[in-house]
Amino acid sequence: MTLTAHKTALPPAPPSGRGGRRPGRIGTARRREALTGYLFTAPTVIGFLVFILGPLVAALYLSLTKYNILTAPKFVGFDNYARMFRDERLAITYGNTVLYVGAAVVLINGFALLFAVLINQRLPRALTYVFRSAYFFPYLVALVYVSIIWQALFQKDTGILNYYITALGGERIDWLNSSEFSKVSVIIVDTWRNVGFAMLIFVAALQEVPKDMVEAARMDGASEWQVFRRIVLPMISQATFFNITITIIGAFQIYESIIVLTRGGPGDASRSVVMYIAEVAFNKFDMGYASAIAVTLFLIIMLVTMVQFRLRKSWVNNE
Amino acid sequence: MNNTTLLPSRSRSGRAVRRRPGVGKSVSVALLVLGAIGMIAPFLWMFTTSLRDAGHAYDLPPQWLPTEWDWSNYAGAVTGPVPILRNMFNSAVIAIAVSIGMIITAPMAGYAFAKLEFPGRNSIFVGLLSSLMVPAQVTIIPLFLLMRTFGLLDNPLSLILPGITGALGVFLLRQFFLGLPQEIIDAARMDGATAWQTYRLIALPLAKNAVSTLGVITFLGSWNAYFAPSIFLNSTDTATLPLGLVLMLGPYGAGNVAQVMGATTIAIAPALIVFLVAQRWIIASLTQSAVKG
Repeated sequence: MTLTAHKTALPPAPPSGRGGRRPGRIGTARRREALTGYLFTAPTVIGFLVFILGPLVAALYLSLTKYNILTAPKFVGFDNYARMFRDERLAITYGNTVLYVGAAVVLINGFALLFAVLINQRLPRALTYVFRSAYFFPYLVALVYVSIIWQALFQKDTGILNYYITALGGERIDWLNSSEFSKVSVIIVDTWRNVGFAMLIFVAALQEVPKDMVEAARMDGASEWQVFRRIVLPMISQATFFNITITIIGAFQIYESIIVLTRGGPGDASRSVVMYIAEVAFNKFDMGYASAIAVTLFLIIMLVTMVQFRLRKSWVNNE
Repeated sequence: MNNTTLLPSRSRSGRAVRRRPGVGKSVSVALLVLGAIGMIAPFLWMFTTSLRDAGHAYDLPPQWLPTEWDWSNYAGAVTGPVPILRNMFNSAVIAIAVSIGMIITAPMAGYAFAKLEFPGRNSIFVGLLSSLMVPAQVTIIPLFLLMRTFGLLDNPLSLILPGITGALGVFLLRQFFLGLPQEIIDAARMDGATAWQTYRLIALPLAKNAVSTLGVITFLGSWNAYFAPSIFLNSTDTATLPLGLVLMLGPYGAGNVAQVMGATTIAIAPALIVFLVAQRWIIASLTQSAVKG
């Protein structure tokens, strides 16, 4: 199947440039093709309208109301948005979330790039395969499941981590119940699970770096660091931006690992903004206020994505 | 940046370059081994613990390899207060339904956006794509209200219906169909095939690999989902497996850890199977979009 596809594959036609390609087609045929097009896209478009666009508009509207499910929504203008500035718990949960985002960007991408560079050397094929598989596997497993495993490893008295720490002469760490280390635990699990995916993206990008260019630079006396900094890093910038965007978006939505590991605690010490949204909406049934917080999260994620697209455009000439 | 693009991109065939071998390479292999152990060790511990008597589950020093092969924790997990088998069945029903729906709707739409001409085609496509930016947290409240209105809370349909369409699949399949030569399509049409026949008999079979990848990715995504299920489902009988396992774990990890690890081992099995069977093309399709832009 792949073979046939490859043999016959031509460079993709630009999506729009096929306008007058078929002269002499009669109107009915065109109309029939258009009808087919609408029919083929109908399920997807309906799904989009009902489950994404409609709810998005509804969320924007709800964010301007007071609504507790039992009585009809009452329009309150921007009250919910004003309230966010006075909400200390929101400040704490957003603070935690920003910390998770920062840690994710630095740690996931840092480790991923390190491992990618190491893997990209001329290692025996089987070894490369084993490494790639090992690093990638956690990414396929549900975050809930890996968090369940890690919360056992993090236990203060019975956990393996503290066993090795004390065996090496360290102090037991209260990984899940201290306000500092509860955040650290969340960050560890997040980094551990996502590093493999980012690494694969980097490996794919590194393989596109022309080897002879690197060799030429070495020949001219460039140090390994200079080669990396001046040639490799610019050549993989596209992958770097992709990875950073993905890690930012993912970390802003961090949720179930915290539920399993710390339940947001102690207090709100490790609670993320998404956990707070879920609590306000589905425990307190303050749907209007929860929607307003969710909208801010959406705006932040949209902003990040738009910045990514902008930056991406300036790298198009890379291809 | 720019000067790099001026260089012709040559094939990377230049092999056998003399660099100080040995030291650098063994250090990096050592680092990679260390990292790989860190990635695999938690799973190994999970499996080993699932085979140990619950009373010894937390014995230290930790055992990394199974010392006994006691499968009673698995029996205990599936007969415990949380109906794990039922939850697994729920997860499977939802994941299969969602995957089937997706591999029907996404290729059709992807084909239409790539190969059919109709007014508004490009703007509809861009609109769909922009939905990838909308995080689930924003739509979850109105969706919850919608499901509540239609009496679908605590019903698998609340997860199936929103799952059977999606922009990502449409995007992946459109990319594939764009690469398909127009001549193949035109030839079929010349021979009198209807648009549906052209799609079903000519184009779709060629997309078999892309469709399989989409199916596997969709299945795993649904199987692994936690956020929406945790909000739409609220009884142990309708719960999906991730919810069941969190219930089983209990607050603050108070549940029977050996049984929890047994259940987690079962829960991870599909990911492991996918990983063993399909790793190569999943990796290929995931990395492609990022690197090629």
